[in-house]
Order: sequence, then structure tokens, then C-alpha cells
Amino acid sequence: MTTVACRDFLDRFDSSDSPRNGSPADLSVQAHLRHCPSCRSFVEDLGKIRAAGAQLAASDPEPPARIWFALRAELEKEGLIRDTPSEVPSKSWLAELFSGKFSVLPRPVLAGGYLAALLAIAFGLSGPINSRINRQRWLDGTQSSTEPLSAQLMSAEKASFSSWPASETPVTASLHQNLEIVDNYISLCENSVREDPENELAREYLYEAYQQKADLLAQLNDR
Amino acid sequence: MAQAGNAAAFERLYRLHNRRVYSLCLRMVGNTAEAEDLTQEAFLQLFRKIATFRGESAFSTWLHRLAVNVVLMRLRKKSATESSLDEMTEPDEESGGPRRDFGMADLRLSGSIDRVNLQRAVDHLPPGYKAVFVLHDVQGYEHNEIAEIMDCSIGNSKSQLHKARMRLRELLHESLRDRAREDRKAAGNAGGED
Repeated sequence: MTTVACRDFLDRFDSSDSPRNGSPADLSVQAHLRHCPSCRSFVEDLGKIRAAGAQLAASDPEPPARIWFALRAELEKEGLIRDTPSEVPSKSWLAELFSGKFSVLPRPVLAGGYLAALLAIAFGLSGPINSRINRQRWLDGTQSSTEPLSAQLMSAEKASFSSWPASETPVTASLHQNLEIVDNYISLCENSVREDPENELAREYLYEAYQQKADLLAQLNDR
Repeated sequence: MAQAGNAAAFERLYRLHNRRVYSLCLRMVGNTAEAEDLTQEAFLQLFRKIATFRGESAFSTWLHRLAVNVVLMRLRKKSATESSLDEMTEPDEESGGPRRDFGMADLRLSGSIDRVNLQRAVDHLPPGYKAVFVLHDVQGYEHNEIAEIMDCSIGNSKSQLHKARMRLRELLHESLRDRAREDRKAAGNAGGED
């Protein structure tokens, strides 16, 4: 077996030719590497770089949601897409959730839960959007879409109450009490959001409050 | 459906590919705000041109080609000079092209390479090297796909990758040397204070 000299090594060795986890394909290069520690260290270094590169992919961050919002706004502006609510994909998993796990609940509670979840999406997905979006239009849109939803949630709740039996067990009494606490919490959060619609934390809290209310309504109905 | 302007189809396409495109942009520019802007720009171009997609190549390859072009255009504008792919991948001696001091035992990269250090080194690669390295070693594309994405030959893709790795090795060695120098300096200062 003839081996190449170090000075010729670089011309013969091509790290892109070797398999992803293997040794160089050129036999003379392989033979040289067996006897030359410095060239071996060179090849090992390139192997480490390749391995570290693959690890970089594992740490790739999730792109922020605002990219889609900005992109969508631009596409709408250019008339490239027909108007369809951005919740469309979410609606399907929501529908699945409410037709699966909660399908035993009566319609008013289901509607309440569904509305609460829609509110959650409306608040959860709205974050600081880059300058390409008309910020005022977005704020107006958020308010005008959440207010009717909130009113509908309230009427769904009333309908649920009317369907419950008059006699209360200690558990349902406690659930009612919790519901009152959550309602107070919701009005506090709503005020905060109204005062500062761009406050992400306030929106997050309101989102959680509606979720808690939906959970409580579901539990009350189970009783 | 997306070709007919269906918003839901657009969104589905976006959700399917946004992570890889964002990652590519982020690795290429090393800045989240700019990566967001470039991701948006790449998808915007995609949706503008989607009616022309004929399925001759894989959709993701087509999209990555758009994304790479968007990023390279931005980098070109930034450098404010018109430069070809060759110029971007073949740095001259002044800008630190690959040297042949490849086998020094004392320059061995010890242990595994830290992700932060590697990313820092990647940030210093010329754009062409960087694109091939990110596409192949980070995102796992094969050379035939990279050749399509970068509009170059398979041989060119292989050669750029090899050069990119060698340049990265140099950059990593440089950072090791810098760190050793700083350590020595700090030790010297500490000794002087005693």
C-alpha cells in the first residue's frame, strides 16, 4: 500500500466525500492517516465540526408567531390571499377537542368552553407585531372581536345555570364559589387589557382566566 | 389550493416549512430580528411566485432556493459591493482564505465543540461557505439538493463544504488561541498583583 505525503494530503482529502459517519473513501488517504498523527488530528477536527453542526439543528429556536401575522397582513395587502380566518387550523383541533373529550356536556357549556377557547386564541396569538402591520387596525380588531365573544360566553353561562338542578351539593356550592372568584379575576384582567391592550402579560392572564372558567363550567355540569 | 390563493393552504405551507427557513436565515445572519424579516421576505416571495411552481423539484428545495437567494441578496446589499458566488466563497488571503497549516498537533480541537463557539465561527464564514455548511451539516441536505438550491454543480457544493469546514477549523483554533492568550494575561495580572 502506497501512502501519500503530508503535502499532498490536502489535495487528495476531501471531507465532503467521506460518509457522514465514516472514514475517508480514498485508500491511500486512509493509509496515510494511520501513520500520520497530525493529519489524523486534522481529519478528526473536521469530523468534530461536522458533528457539532448537526447538533446546532437540535437547538433551532421556534420562529415567533408574529412572522406569520406580519406575512399574512402583507399578503392581504397585496391581495394574494382570499380572506379566511387565521384560526382555521386551530378551529379544527378545537372542534376535535370539544367533540371528543367534552362531547358529553350540554350545548350551552360546550358553547361557553368553545368561546373561551376562541378568546384564548384571540389573546394568545396576538403579540407585538412588526411595523408592517397597521397596529391601530389590529387593536381595534382585537377589541371588536373579543367583546361580542365575551357577551356570548356570558349568555352561554346563564343558559348552563338554568339547566342545573336547584339543590346544591357541597361540591357544586364550592364550584359556584370558585366560579365567582374566577369571574372577579376575569373582570380584573379585562380591565387591565382594556387599559393596556398591548400588555402581553395581561392578555395571558385573561386567557388563563377564561380557561379556568371553561374548566369550572365543565366540572359544574358533570355534577 | 395555495396556488389559488387559499389563505388556509398558505398558512399550512407556512407552518410546515417555517422552522427550517427561519433556522437557515438565523444561522446565516446570526441576528433574530433580521432572521424574522428574512423569513417573512422568503415566504412572501414564495407566495408571490407560487403560481409558477411546476413541481420540477421538491417543494422544500424550491423554497430553500428562494430563501437562500433572499439571504444572499441581503448580505450582498449589506456589504455594498457586487460580488459573485465565487467571490463570496473564495475569500482572498487578506480576508483569511483557507491556509494549509492543517496538521499541527498543538492545534487539535480538544473534546467536542461548543455550540456557541461553533455558531460564532459560522458567523465569520463568507456567505457562500456559510450557506453550504448550514444546508449540509446543520440541515442535512445532500449535495445534489444543495446544487439545486444554490444553482451550482454538485462538485462545487462539495468543494465549498470542505473549504467551509477547514475555515471553521481555523476560526475555532483562533478563538482557542485568543482564549489561551487571555488566560495567560489574566494569570500574569493576578501574579503581578500578588
